[in-house]
Amino acid sequence: MTSELITAASRAVPGGVTTFQVASPDLEAVVRDLHGLRLADMFASDGDTPTLRLVWANDADGPQSGYVITETSIENGEYPALSDIAPAAFVEECEIYEQFGIRPASGKPLNRIMLPPHTGPHNTGTQNTGTQNTGLPTLGHRPPSEPEEVRAPHTVAGQAFEFPFGPVRQVGVESLYYGLVTSGEEVVDLYLFTWHKHRGLEWRLAGMTPRQALFLVERAEGLSAVAMGWAFAAAVEAATGTRPPAAAQRTRAVALELERLYNHAAAMAALCQSTGLSVGQSAAEIALERLLRLNARAFGHRYLFGVVDAGGAGRAPDADAIRADLPGAYGEFRRAADALLSTNSFVDRLEATGILTADQAGALGLVGPVARATGRLGDARLMPDGPYAGTGIAVPTATAGDVLARFTVMLAEAAESVRLIGDFIDAGTVTGTGPGTGELRPGGGTGLGWAESPRGEALAWVALDDEGRITRARLRPASARNWRGFDDACRSQNVFTDIPIIEASFWLTAAGMAR
Amino acid sequence: MTLWFVRGLRRGVVTTRYPARPEESARYLPTPPAFRPRALTAGTADRLAASCPSGALRRADDVLVFDVGRCTACGRCAAEAPHAVTTSGAFELAATSRSVLVKTIPLRGETG
Repeated sequence: MTSELITAASRAVPGGVTTFQVASPDLEAVVRDLHGLRLADMFASDGDTPTLRLVWANDADGPQSGYVITETSIENGEYPALSDIAPAAFVEECEIYEQFGIRPASGKPLNRIMLPPHTGPHNTGTQNTGTQNTGLPTLGHRPPSEPEEVRAPHTVAGQAFEFPFGPVRQVGVESLYYGLVTSGEEVVDLYLFTWHKHRGLEWRLAGMTPRQALFLVERAEGLSAVAMGWAFAAAVEAATGTRPPAAAQRTRAVALELERLYNHAAAMAALCQSTGLSVGQSAAEIALERLLRLNARAFGHRYLFGVVDAGGAGRAPDADAIRADLPGAYGEFRRAADALLSTNSFVDRLEATGILTADQAGALGLVGPVARATGRLGDARLMPDGPYAGTGIAVPTATAGDVLARFTVMLAEAAESVRLIGDFIDAGTVTGTGPGTGELRPGGGTGLGWAESPRGEALAWVALDDEGRITRARLRPASARNWRGFDDACRSQNVFTDIPIIEASFWLTAAGMAR
Repeated sequence: MTLWFVRGLRRGVVTTRYPARPEESARYLPTPPAFRPRALTAGTADRLAASCPSGALRRADDVLVFDVGRCTACGRCAAEAPHAVTTSGAFELAATSRSVLVKTIPLRGETG
């Protein structure tokens, strides 16, 4: 099968998902051909033989128009080294090795991504049964040996030294370890350990009903509760052939844009903190608090948990509260942003800091404001089906790829979010809970779902048995993609003190990796 | 920096010494459940326990055991049995002993 066929098929179903079976010997050629698309995710599931799934987004040269999934049975525990062709695949190659024991055929070293090394001896070659001393459970067969843990190869010599930072961090930052190689000023290298707080969420979801699972899915990355919940609910709806009511879809969209607003306000506060602008930080945090209170008043939860339900919406918004409070809260946001953009000492720290190019973003499959600040147009809201269709949504982009570009993209997105919220409320959202707000159809199947979180595209894939219980759920928050671009951004001729600024502009979560 | 100095003076103090006054936004916060013992039967308690995603509810003979420390105020119990469960409105839940957070609610509802 040629890539032309696959690409044509994906475009023939606007807003749809096209799935192809690819034989293992053909996988390398297909990936080579599909490299024009964005590799959005890669995961495996267990069975008589493990199945490897690659999810490709069709947004390389225009608005996002569809997804392609390739499914490949892995017979001998190995598959072609896909990250040699598509570098975006490397993190998932490591994760799949830890969880299923299958690996790229090249024998290349793989890093530890998910499972902490201190959780006890691991059995080899047998599936975990949840009993006795077998370490944390895995989704499939354990790897025959531990990951090689080489990280990015580097030599610490001369004036350079390695500075360990984390995993215990100040304020509210979660467990994350930076291995930072520096000469004291310039960042020579940086690598991450992301496994300190692995929660085994995908393992826990197996056997649950979608409604039970949503409780955990929303908490996979709490700052993206709406986006992750929506992506998961959409996957379940695709699997069961459920079509949520339009009013419920608009309700989700209102919550999703509120989620974007408060996250961008929080990122602005973090940028101020990282640049030592404490008064600006207070101004941004006042806006953030007002937006969180608006969330609570509108939906009954500051972080918007419980809004998304499988098949529809679980909470009805207080439209009057949004109309009354949103202008004031956004006005606070905008005044802080305008003052920051006219503060030279702030703008100087953002400009030419943490630069990523469009090529880097494409090769690593980055998403959200990080990718759009390099000029890429990917945005899951542009998919031609769903509540955003017909809204004339504007997707702001920039070209500089630095922290300032990411900040200006966020500000423009916030303005667009306010407009969209008004439009969705005017068009009508759900007015209550229960019947009429959406019901999930019974049955099983597989499905892919997506939503554009404040950090970028969130994806979920589920397989349900005939009784509607989950046999495999894959959660891919935007953070799981964008952390792989963080070290590149830090290495781009930056100094030691730029790292907190770059981190704030990415506005990622450790939870998104430690799921 | 003059800009920020003037802005700060104009904006004034927005924080208060807790709890200087009843917090208006608190009434929109999700809060743990409150139970109506007269409407609680063993069957209802079992359904509530099954609906709780964080294991905060369980039945022990003729009482419902409610661990406030495990409750995330998700509201599933209230949705499951609205005749027996309401929201408490209480969010000042700190205690100096873990055991204080575990409540027992007698089941007084008539079965059948």
